[in-house]
Amino acid sequence: MVEAIIRATLLGLQLGMTLALIAAGLTLIFGMLDVINFAHGALFMLGAYLGTVIAGQLGSFWLALLLAPLIVGVIGAAIEILSLRPLYGRNPLYHILLTFGIAIMIQGAILQIWGGQSRRISVPEILSGSVPIGPVNYPLYWLFVFAFSTVLIGLVWIGIERSNLGILMRASAHDTEMVNALGIDVSKVFTGVFVFGAVLAGVAGVLLSGTQSVHPGMGFNVIIEAFIIVVIGGLGSFRGAVYSALLIGLVSAYGALIAPTLTELFLFLLMAVVLMIKPSGLFGTTEAA
Amino acid sequence: MKAVTEFFDRSTHSRTGNQLLSSQGRFALLVSIAVLAVAAPIVQMIHPFWLNLMVRMMIFALLALSLDFVFGYAGLLSFGHAAMFGAGGYAAAIVITEVTPHALVVLPIAVVAGVVIAALIGWLSVRARGIYFAMLTLAFAQMFYVVAFTDLPATILDRGSVTGGDNGLYGIGMYELFGIDFTSTLMYFYLTLGLVALSLAIIIRLANSQFGRVLQGIRENEERIEFIGYDVQRYKVVGFAISGGFAGLAGGLYVPFQSVAHPGLLHWMISGELIVMLLLGGMGTLWGPMLGAGLVVLLEEQLAGFASWEIILGGIFVGVVIFAPRGLAGILISLRNDPGSAVENAKQAVRDYLEAVRG
Repeated sequence: MVEAIIRATLLGLQLGMTLALIAAGLTLIFGMLDVINFAHGALFMLGAYLGTVIAGQLGSFWLALLLAPLIVGVIGAAIEILSLRPLYGRNPLYHILLTFGIAIMIQGAILQIWGGQSRRISVPEILSGSVPIGPVNYPLYWLFVFAFSTVLIGLVWIGIERSNLGILMRASAHDTEMVNALGIDVSKVFTGVFVFGAVLAGVAGVLLSGTQSVHPGMGFNVIIEAFIIVVIGGLGSFRGAVYSALLIGLVSAYGALIAPTLTELFLFLLMAVVLMIKPSGLFGTTEAA
Repeated sequence: MKAVTEFFDRSTHSRTGNQLLSSQGRFALLVSIAVLAVAAPIVQMIHPFWLNLMVRMMIFALLALSLDFVFGYAGLLSFGHAAMFGAGGYAAAIVITEVTPHALVVLPIAVVAGVVIAALIGWLSVRARGIYFAMLTLAFAQMFYVVAFTDLPATILDRGSVTGGDNGLYGIGMYELFGIDFTSTLMYFYLTLGLVALSLAIIIRLANSQFGRVLQGIRENEERIEFIGYDVQRYKVVGFAISGGFAGLAGGLYVPFQSVAHPGLLHWMISGELIVMLLLGGMGTLWGPMLGAGLVVLLEEQLAGFASWEIILGGIFVGVVIFAPRGLAGILISLRNDPGSAVENAKQAVRDYLEAVRG
């Protein structure tokens, strides 16, 4: 029993931190660009597929972890410049339809190129095997995923709070016209934020392709989970997204322990309760229209 | 409630002239319905499968209409309309199998099921606004999905099966009414057409009534409507419940026609597709989303043969958003108003797009 609880806790933390990578991109894109990015799950899936393929072709997990997110970032840049840029300032609903269309296109392209069967990335030698944590034998790769995600989230957090680029990003979100008037090209900042979110989703995709199977439905599965996280945390709040990702990771892991078929119910129940008590999420400051 | 009673009283009918549809528009709708009624037997003769497709298009048109009433018209961003659609469908399936297949009994029950679920979801969600309202409706709808998928009622009531779990309920019988044989697709087509036309008439009437004006006011400026003294929350819940009734009716029409009720009816993908239908058709016009629904059902059916149909479908959505943000309805309206400059408008749209991309 104790063993199962420790295992679920570790699993929940690992899942939560990786989901935080996806949710962080989603919430940053919403907070700065005012775009509800339905294609974020598809970008995550693209990262997982590219990672699996690159690792298979080049035989190196580390190259895959480096290259796949970069390619996803380039595709993200193309999406932002070619389709989102003409739509800023319009009703956010149009962004939903647009990114929904893009998500379907990416899914279709993946089916065309790599087919429908599920696959898996081969974990590097050094990370295979398991380590004892108390009474539990825990896979080393899963610990690596947890540590890598945590460090990355920490770096992003510090970057947003401390660096000049982070300040510029927050300023652009706060008052686009003012930043524009100061001679800074805000549209480049917007592209940068979208690409950054895409890269984070790509990293999450590569990391999770070692712990779960990679299949064409994973994009739409993850997007709803990511939305729940972002909404519970408060749309646009980075801090909220990280905390609530951990919460959702743990609830999923414990839920799977108690009643595996009802895990999804717990997540939606949690979101409903949070929103009914605090209608703009835990860390949300303003009500989004 | 006052607004609902006033709705039936013609004298309070708005005379501002700012009607949802001009008399010309209503005439066009009547003509379209007549054309559909006449075309059906001809389609039946040429290719019976197309008639089947037309029935499904009309059912989704009704569903899109119900969503447009709260979403495009009252500004309530519902991301959970699949719950009411599925509730109507499951209610119809259970009543037909367990009690009676009489249409005059089953269809009203499907409507009531939709109203009850919508009232519940609406009442729990209306305090949140905008995207948070959408996420709440999504959450409650997904809960119904999980309940149907895991057949929770059977566990609670300690029975063998209620919703049939992930398999759903299959082998649902057909409606009975005045001895008409609804297993004939043509007869079912007329039943559906009649009910869709009736629903459209009621919704147009509602939208143009005082009740509809208040909903529209809430969309435009919620605070102001509240200051005037209207109970905004209650109007929202009532509007949502009415919309849910029509969604339930759509479910009640869909399930016997497909002879299966499965959890997929309640899944958020249906709600998401509905929003796509609305935006594609042009929200807030009522007839636009119906066209959009028909088009999406048709495209999915026709493109399914292509290997890369998802890329084409997604590409169409992207193209519509960028080049025709007001949807099909917007294109048709501008064509009617000024057919000569259609080419010029298209060129201008491309120029605007290129300029925006360059930044």
